[in-house]
Amino acid sequence: MAQKLILRICYLYPDLMDTYGDIGNIIALKKRCATRNIKVEIVNKSLNDKIEKDKFDLFFFGGGQDKIQILVGKDLQKKRENLINSIEKGAVLLSICGGYQLLQKYFRTVSGETIKGIGLFDAHTEGSDERMIQNLWIDLSKNIKDEIKEIYPTVDKKQLTTDLIGFENHSGKTYLGKNLKPLGTVIKGAGNNGEDKTEGIRYKNAFGCYLHGALLPKNPHFADYLIAKALERRYGQIKLEPLDDSIEWQAHKAAIKRT
Amino acid sequence: MDLRFTIALIVGKLTAFLLILKGSGATAAPGLYALNIDPDFVKKFSQRVHFGSIIVSGTNGKTTTSRLIYNLLSEKYKIIHNRQGSNLLRGLASTFINNSSILGKLDANIALWEVDEAVLPEIVTSTNPKTVVLLNLFRDQLDRYGEVDSIRKSWQKWLIKIPRSTNIILNEDDPGIKSLEKYAKGKSITFGIQDKEIKLPKTINVSDIKRCPNCGSNLEFSAVFSAHIGHYYCNYCSFRRKIPNVSASGLVFKRGFKTSLTININKKKSKLNLNLPGLYNVYNLLAASTVFLTEKIDSSKLIRSLQKFSSAFGRYQSFEINGKKIIIFLIKNPAGANEVLRTISLEDNLNILAILNDKIADGTDVSWIWDTNWEIIASKIKSVSVSGTRSWDLANRLKYAGVNLSNKNVYKQNNYPIGHIIKNMGTKDTLLILPTYTALLETQKNLSKLSSQEKWHKN
Repeated sequence: MAQKLILRICYLYPDLMDTYGDIGNIIALKKRCATRNIKVEIVNKSLNDKIEKDKFDLFFFGGGQDKIQILVGKDLQKKRENLINSIEKGAVLLSICGGYQLLQKYFRTVSGETIKGIGLFDAHTEGSDERMIQNLWIDLSKNIKDEIKEIYPTVDKKQLTTDLIGFENHSGKTYLGKNLKPLGTVIKGAGNNGEDKTEGIRYKNAFGCYLHGALLPKNPHFADYLIAKALERRYGQIKLEPLDDSIEWQAHKAAIKRT
Repeated sequence: MDLRFTIALIVGKLTAFLLILKGSGATAAPGLYALNIDPDFVKKFSQRVHFGSIIVSGTNGKTTTSRLIYNLLSEKYKIIHNRQGSNLLRGLASTFINNSSILGKLDANIALWEVDEAVLPEIVTSTNPKTVVLLNLFRDQLDRYGEVDSIRKSWQKWLIKIPRSTNIILNEDDPGIKSLEKYAKGKSITFGIQDKEIKLPKTINVSDIKRCPNCGSNLEFSAVFSAHIGHYYCNYCSFRRKIPNVSASGLVFKRGFKTSLTININKKKSKLNLNLPGLYNVYNLLAASTVFLTEKIDSSKLIRSLQKFSSAFGRYQSFEINGKKIIIFLIKNPAGANEVLRTISLEDNLNILAILNDKIADGTDVSWIWDTNWEIIASKIKSVSVSGTRSWDLANRLKYAGVNLSNKNVYKQNNYPIGHIIKNMGTKDTLLILPTYTALLETQKNLSKLSSQEKWHKN
């Protein structure tokens, strides 16, 4: 048997940024790897913890309550250098809602306060009085689509779609810098700002979005895409074993039907 | 005579009458129409209630606590109560309409209101409260209520305005609720659990209070019972849990959905054996007992009444169909659902039907099932089926929790397989139904079709 693969996950602020069921993403990554006999190591990093250089293949950063976000934002500045460094070297990152916002340049609240981000993403968020709360359905950007078609090992090609379905709940409106591509285009819902039809962001292998739900359990193609990308760094191109994702796709379709 | 009020009442009465003719159970509609005509309808009616109101609010436990209070106080007062659980302003208006004469005369001298946490500020100012009970605040339907912090902030505002004569009953073990004490002008009385640990399996922690609500520093816990409920203290300011006025200790959770404990009221201890399961019901019982304490009634009555109490509609309700036992546990948010799962994990060979809907009253966001610790029952399951508008999301959640679920046991909306499941169950088996709120109402209809004891749910 070939060497046993290990996926090293860094779970950012799991004790503080845990409000919207985003832990489902970690559960999905863990299970999809375990089923394939890929070993998963998860290290939690919260306030005052140091992120080691070059240690992690995949970072996850979820959403939290507004007040907590200020506290986390401050602490994140101390982790900035090693986190950005890891992304520059190809590590994968998935950030959602509050996590996504803190990785941008800044967040300006409705009352005019500015919360500094770490500027991994060339983007910023403006607070608004309108809360965008609904199912969010997007079509992935073309380059991601093409990669997913290569990577996702489906048994049944008919099952594969190149959209994502989740649930958004935010009042911040995110605007992307000129050189960055969104994660996808909104089919239904608000997305980044409810104005320009973009949703999320991609920079190298770092992704940000407003998709709770939890996202990865019912978007198994995207889950596998992140796993393969994260392993690639250490092990070169990996062919993932196909799994029976029939329940996952049913959940995906049922959620779209309710959108 | 107040013409606007009178017209509102007549329109409300007519609506209620028409609804009865139609056989519809829409309990909020008469109140809604009356409030459209007279926005002060509830306020005006409340002035006719001699002793004012007792208000119960919080994320979890409102219905059960209110029913306990009703039982405890029904000898002392004539109570008007929104028992059907319609807990917005319109639900209160409907309750007044249904319990008054056409002239607006009420056969009650106190009102008991179970109130939705989002509309609590509005209702407190309209109903002349004698006592307000604040049970807990957890993340719940984030799509509708927003975050826990924002609800608590809205509560602070009305607490400052409340008269000194009002009793404020607080859960000492919920730091978010306890932090409201300093805003309360009235007399605050607290309840809590004195044990150092809870002998139930551990679940994922879904704490919504991470920092000291008083100073923002790290909040430490010497005991965690559930989510952020427990014994807490802040190292930087004086904020900490104190010994509550009414407390429970020596909690034992037993198989067969029973609980025993010692209740301590004003330093007087009594042992209780209850036909109620779960930690959450202990808190409900403590809250109701604290209300009782403020009423200065002989405490032997309290103990007798608590022993008898078994359940509130759908919160933990058991009944029989064709000789098979069925128990319903409402699930609606992670803190509540985790407590239910801990409670049922004490049993073996579970037969489960879980129903997940995403209608407005359930919350349209089903993310919360991922904050819910289905893993702890995985090894206890004998058979499992899922249903509801988001049955596949739930099926997926169970799959990732390590539960063996066949695709054949995932049912579509409104096609609940209760009859089918109980047919295949052994005579000694029990079916546990875990529905979300609107699914509970649908389950109720399905069960009354199946059951010869029609109207069992009318209670």
